[in-house]
Amino acid sequence: MANQDLLSDQGLRLDGRRAHELRRIRCKLGVFSQPDGSAYLEQGNTKVLAAVYGPHQAPGKKSNHSEVIVNCQYSMAVFSTGERKNRPRGDRKSQEMTIHLQQTLRAAIKTELYPRSQIDVFIEVLQADGGNYCASVNAATLALIDAGICLKEYVCACTASLANGNVPLMDVSHLEEVSGGATLSVASLPSSNKIAFMEMSQRFHLDHLPKVLDHALQGCQQIMSILDKAVREHLALVGSASDWGNIAK
Amino acid sequence: MSTNVKFRLASDRVNTQILTGDRIPRLYTPGEVVTAQQSFMRGHGTYVEDDDIKASVAGVMEQVNKLISIKPLKSRYVGEIGDVVVARITEVQQKRWKVDTNSRLDSVLLLSSVNLPGGELRRRSAEDEQMMRKYLQEGDLISAEVQNIYDDGSLSLYTRSLKYGKLSQGILVKVFPSLIKRRKTHFHNLPCGVSIILGNNGFIWISPTSTSESENDGGFTQNLSEVIPRADREVIARLRNCILALAQCKMMLYDTSILYAFEESIKYEVHELLNQEAIFDVAFLTQHRLRLQEI
Amino acid sequence: MLTERVFMRKTKRGNILKIVREHYLRDDIICGSAICKHCPVSMQNDDDIVLVANPSAESSLFKFPIYLVPDTNVILDQIDIFEEDAICNMIILSTVQEEVKHRSSAVYKKFRDIVGRSPRHCYVFVNEHHKDTYVERKPGETANDRNDRAIRTATKWYDEHLQQSQLNIPKAKRIRVVLLTNDAKNREIAQNEGILAISVDEYVKSLTEHPLLQDKLKHKTYEVESSKNALFPPHLSPAEIHEGIKSGALLQGSFMASRENYLEGSVNVEGIEKFVLIQGRESLNRAVDGDVVAIRLLPEDQWSAPSEIILQDEENDPGDVLEEETEILAVKAEVEKTPTGVIVGIIRRKWRQYCGILQINQVSGSTRHIFVPAERKIPKVRIETRQAEHLKMQRIVVAIDNWPRHSRYPNGHFVRALGPLGDKDTENEVLLLEHDVPHSKWSEEVLSCLPKLPWIITNEDYERRKDLRDIFICSVDPPGCTDIDDALHCRELPNGRLEVGVHIADVSHFIRPGTALDKEASLRATTVYLVDKRIDMVPELLSSNLCSLLGGVERFAFSCVWEMDHNANILETRYHKSVIKSKSAMTYEQAQLIIDDPTQNHEIAKSLRHLNRLAKILKKKRIENGALILASPEIRFQVDSETHDPIEVEAKKMRETNSMVEEFMLLANVSVAEHIEREFPECAMLRRHPNPPQTNFEPLIKAGENQGFEIKTDCGKNLALSLDAAIKEDNPYFNTMLRILATRCMMQAVYFISGTVQNEEYFHYGLAAPIYTHFTSPIRRYADIIVHRLLAASIGADSTYAELLDKHRNSELCNNLNYRNRMAQYAGRASVALNTHLFFRGKTQEEEGYVLFVRKNALQILVPKFGLEGTIYLNIPKDNSRHKPGAPVFVFNKDEHTQQCGNIIFHSFDPVVVRLSLDSTNVQREKLVFELVKPYIEGFSVEPMELSVDDNDDQKASDKVSESTPKRPIGNADENKPKKKKNKKTKK
Repeated sequence: MANQDLLSDQGLRLDGRRAHELRRIRCKLGVFSQPDGSAYLEQGNTKVLAAVYGPHQAPGKKSNHSEVIVNCQYSMAVFSTGERKNRPRGDRKSQEMTIHLQQTLRAAIKTELYPRSQIDVFIEVLQADGGNYCASVNAATLALIDAGICLKEYVCACTASLANGNVPLMDVSHLEEVSGGATLSVASLPSSNKIAFMEMSQRFHLDHLPKVLDHALQGCQQIMSILDKAVREHLALVGSASDWGNIAK
Repeated sequence: MSTNVKFRLASDRVNTQILTGDRIPRLYTPGEVVTAQQSFMRGHGTYVEDDDIKASVAGVMEQVNKLISIKPLKSRYVGEIGDVVVARITEVQQKRWKVDTNSRLDSVLLLSSVNLPGGELRRRSAEDEQMMRKYLQEGDLISAEVQNIYDDGSLSLYTRSLKYGKLSQGILVKVFPSLIKRRKTHFHNLPCGVSIILGNNGFIWISPTSTSESENDGGFTQNLSEVIPRADREVIARLRNCILALAQCKMMLYDTSILYAFEESIKYEVHELLNQEAIFDVAFLTQHRLRLQEI
Repeated sequence: MLTERVFMRKTKRGNILKIVREHYLRDDIICGSAICKHCPVSMQNDDDIVLVANPSAESSLFKFPIYLVPDTNVILDQIDIFEEDAICNMIILSTVQEEVKHRSSAVYKKFRDIVGRSPRHCYVFVNEHHKDTYVERKPGETANDRNDRAIRTATKWYDEHLQQSQLNIPKAKRIRVVLLTNDAKNREIAQNEGILAISVDEYVKSLTEHPLLQDKLKHKTYEVESSKNALFPPHLSPAEIHEGIKSGALLQGSFMASRENYLEGSVNVEGIEKFVLIQGRESLNRAVDGDVVAIRLLPEDQWSAPSEIILQDEENDPGDVLEEETEILAVKAEVEKTPTGVIVGIIRRKWRQYCGILQINQVSGSTRHIFVPAERKIPKVRIETRQAEHLKMQRIVVAIDNWPRHSRYPNGHFVRALGPLGDKDTENEVLLLEHDVPHSKWSEEVLSCLPKLPWIITNEDYERRKDLRDIFICSVDPPGCTDIDDALHCRELPNGRLEVGVHIADVSHFIRPGTALDKEASLRATTVYLVDKRIDMVPELLSSNLCSLLGGVERFAFSCVWEMDHNANILETRYHKSVIKSKSAMTYEQAQLIIDDPTQNHEIAKSLRHLNRLAKILKKKRIENGALILASPEIRFQVDSETHDPIEVEAKKMRETNSMVEEFMLLANVSVAEHIEREFPECAMLRRHPNPPQTNFEPLIKAGENQGFEIKTDCGKNLALSLDAAIKEDNPYFNTMLRILATRCMMQAVYFISGTVQNEEYFHYGLAAPIYTHFTSPIRRYADIIVHRLLAASIGADSTYAELLDKHRNSELCNNLNYRNRMAQYAGRASVALNTHLFFRGKTQEEEGYVLFVRKNALQILVPKFGLEGTIYLNIPKDNSRHKPGAPVFVFNKDEHTQQCGNIIFHSFDPVVVRLSLDSTNVQREKLVFELVKPYIEGFSVEPMELSVDDNDDQKASDKVSESTPKRPIGNADENKPKKKKNKKTKK
């Protein structure tokens, strides 16, 4: 199995990372002016745009009197994968992903604050190179924060897999996803140590779960600090441009 | 028709974010503990978990006595009584209009909160209810003031002042509500011959300054036949671009800043104001002038 | 930690895809040298510093100490040089490592192993991810050029990097870095760039302290092959082959050389049911056994049949000429033509290292010699060595380098010597090496996994296990058996049923998954039994002591307990881990005596009698279901306890008790197989024996026809019935011989994982069982350990672990088990053959034998007493040195498959008397000689011994008409002897 080759004897992965290292994460908030909140995030070569509209009045029939409706749309640009995709959204995979995202984001949003409202989250994957779900969650978190929506905390997602049958790998790339074994995707609320969502790409022995999960959670933690730094930088820039406008008096 | 559209690589874009000041207040991000003391009360943008008050949005702390709240830099419009808003009618209902004010929930304009033609003291009859769509129909823009805030957070508006009412010819510009600086007045007749209404909800209305003081009709007339001269329209377009330029650079919008931007933009053609460089230049100069003024 | 990254672009053919991959460059990769003072200290780990501070300066070319940087081709070509400890302090660049891995996984494996050895001081430097040594491919640059440049860049970096740490050392004594490459152009560029570069040949020659290293240099010919003097047609280029295979003009398959005829071979092509025959040296076109080749089928009118000739390459290097091939070409029979082809190209060489002996060049002082491999399928190899005198009486290992068109034999180089010829240990070593049997000493790591002595059973153990110490359990095994892995009991229950228990040594208790011990055991896969030696799968402490169910001691067992009625119907099955105390460890003979002795009426006797009775019922049922009873002759050596030389040979005796134990083992295996398949439908380890294709039975059917019997082979049951019916009154051994033939028609039984094969294919043909596995011999088979673990997991006695349920991993494991099993079988047979030789050394014996096959130029004789098979050559052509003038002429009847000489006709299965002796004239290769004694044929047969005493001794020597190394039958019905230990054997 190609599995054997994911981690060299020198402890380096195919792309030169060590087992416990994340890919480079770059992100930017407020990339659009139209939506209430937006963000762009690169996790390695996985590139994702997220736009948030709302909270706004939920359409009459759907309106829920106690909680907000989180409406997601996950779509992958037709040019995002190696082979051109036929349809950007609406296929089973995207629909599944949409549901997963919805579930994950609901865990972070303080839904009770927004009765009769709806929040729309649009995710567009521009380039897919593994960990699409994770990048989407991370970008969506940023976009939600940018939109000023109340969150319990950051919700971050990270993948982890196993190399050579026993060494956990953090934040796997597409190449590692396809040539490796099962991939675990975890979305967590890192500071309170809660897991918002967890998914396995295939069957996997229970013995491995703790260490792989642990790696994924560590990854979430690291991602959170990266995102937090980005948010603070963004706030500082925007805030000082307006000389803290209405806020700081 | 030739078009003037420019695409740029992300790396070639002008970074509009270098207009920084040096005074950065303490920032909070979601999940961060604001205070562990239980003597405080939690306000907006915070929640309590494990006896800690934590931030739920990214922003700056505001403390009023024992009340602690975190204000996000950007959010949907959260109305306050007395705010001037520019809004759009979305629905005509029984004795009320549903109005989009860019807030979390649709706002309400009650039939009783408008001045009907015929004077303030006119009685509202059943006919008026049937005539509602004649006064304001879906899609119409109005200016109004927040009269009241309901329990669920939705706003009730009124237009019972001659300042408010249906809007006629002009341009609507939408910006983030947080960019509108709260001032005593949000109606300005700029020296360049244009009036603007800076709605607190982030909707900005730019219109030619009406020469004739409106007849006392409660503001339900729209004079769509009047031809606005090209010069005026250019000024309006320029103003729009200036406002967008400032908004893009996340600068606060108020009469002075807009006026300064307008003045700094004169050296550009109107359409040039869509260029990143021009936007940045105008914003930068405006910022510079404003800072000078502060000192 | 992450510094920078660049993009790698790759385009694949077909749909052009632009693949963008991240490539992180790091600043935390250290140089691994002990003298370095500049690498980031925080990253350093003492284990990583492998390059010593004072590498020895052995090369006469360099006056200062050096580190070597070999390039890819050097490693690929000269891997044998690197096997030597003289080459050390190497820097292996990841560029090189990747290329080696890509080009040859076999070399990569070896190389990785070498690099891992600590005294070699090899450091793998990941230059591809180091920020200073990464190079980007330039536009228009080929991948190879880029890699060469990367290697040079890294070498240069290293050199400069190390200089910085040696500023306080005089320049002439500083460690330098030397690029080792055979590419002259690359060397030149390197030297221009200020890099020290040298070719391997120069370097090896400069190692004056290791002159013998030169022998191991692979001679790579760069000369263009001219068609002048070419003995062989050229091979097609890879592109042509690819094109040809795509268009269907060529076929691809793996080449198998014939054991009997060195000018014949066959290619197994996917999609063609029969093997494609390849005849003649030119058609074989330098293919070596195992190679993947491209062939072109000949038109049907040129098809041929496998020659019935047995031919060996006897010449002593006749030079690069080809002799007449009339021998095989003459046999173009009209009947039974099979697809025939010629080899036009080699797709993949499967050359390995071969054991064999040196045939010294008669020209004294010459360094060029001929190497004769032990494996007859492999051609002789030309090698160059300066130590011929030393090596000529040794077994040596040689690797093939190339086979040019103008050379009759391939060229190779000496790898290492194994030991003196004829020495028992050397011969065993050869045997183990040739059969790829891992037999190194147990490593410290493995031994550390063993339980500490004295080993005590704790109270928790008692609690967790069922206590069966009071039950009268006994084991029945061959004499001298120390690894007892099964024991039995049977008792009457109050409800009138019988409780039968099979207790198997609980090896999985001691061998925990993932430990070094477990890994070693899974690699070895099986215990290999040689005549005088046992190569254990697990260390002796376990195999002969803690796991072995010795009599009178408490041992852990995995018990399979049935409740049966008196007709051997299973009413209930239970599995549990237990503690047992075997009351008696008996031999088959002892057990038989107890059963047969009516005066003995103790518990064990009663138990044995019950078992014996039930076993008979079980066996009857099994046979009714169509289970086959096959046979292959098997013998047992009585070995001298001191010299370990065989002193007596006897065919094995079978007793009822053998069959009794066997039946219960089969029953346990089947029960367990059903159970684990139910519990783990996707990942149970099972064993199947595929239905042989009907074509396999052709020789058997023919042989039956010749004797007037119809052998039905459409299903196992009919085969069993027709075999039972084929009895000849006058030839009691006839039936056995038929069964021997039938055995050879069988497929190999294999382990497999339940999820990988359709349910219908689980079937075990030989046993006529729908499902089967191996459970009963965990001490000597790794498959049983896996089955134990699965079973333990299913009854909650043990937990599962990830690998156990990993279908793919287990499939790979199965492949290894199957391979090792096959090799162990071959090794066992080869060992018997070896000992047969030893037995006949200086001995001549006359024995009764039977004609097994009638060939066109030979009779194949089976001697049941020794289980030996040999050949008597007939009609030896005049130009052959063995030709004897005046020999009678034999006439071959193709239809009847008979040989006639005068009025004596040889049929298959005819009884004969042969004389066996060892031909030791060629010290390097002893042969067992078969000579016909009876029926007597004037001028051909030898006189019976009594008469020939004073007759003509000299004639006897020259009378060697027949010779052959004995061959063990290739049987596969190992299921019928699941307790095969030390060549023990079931018989009908």
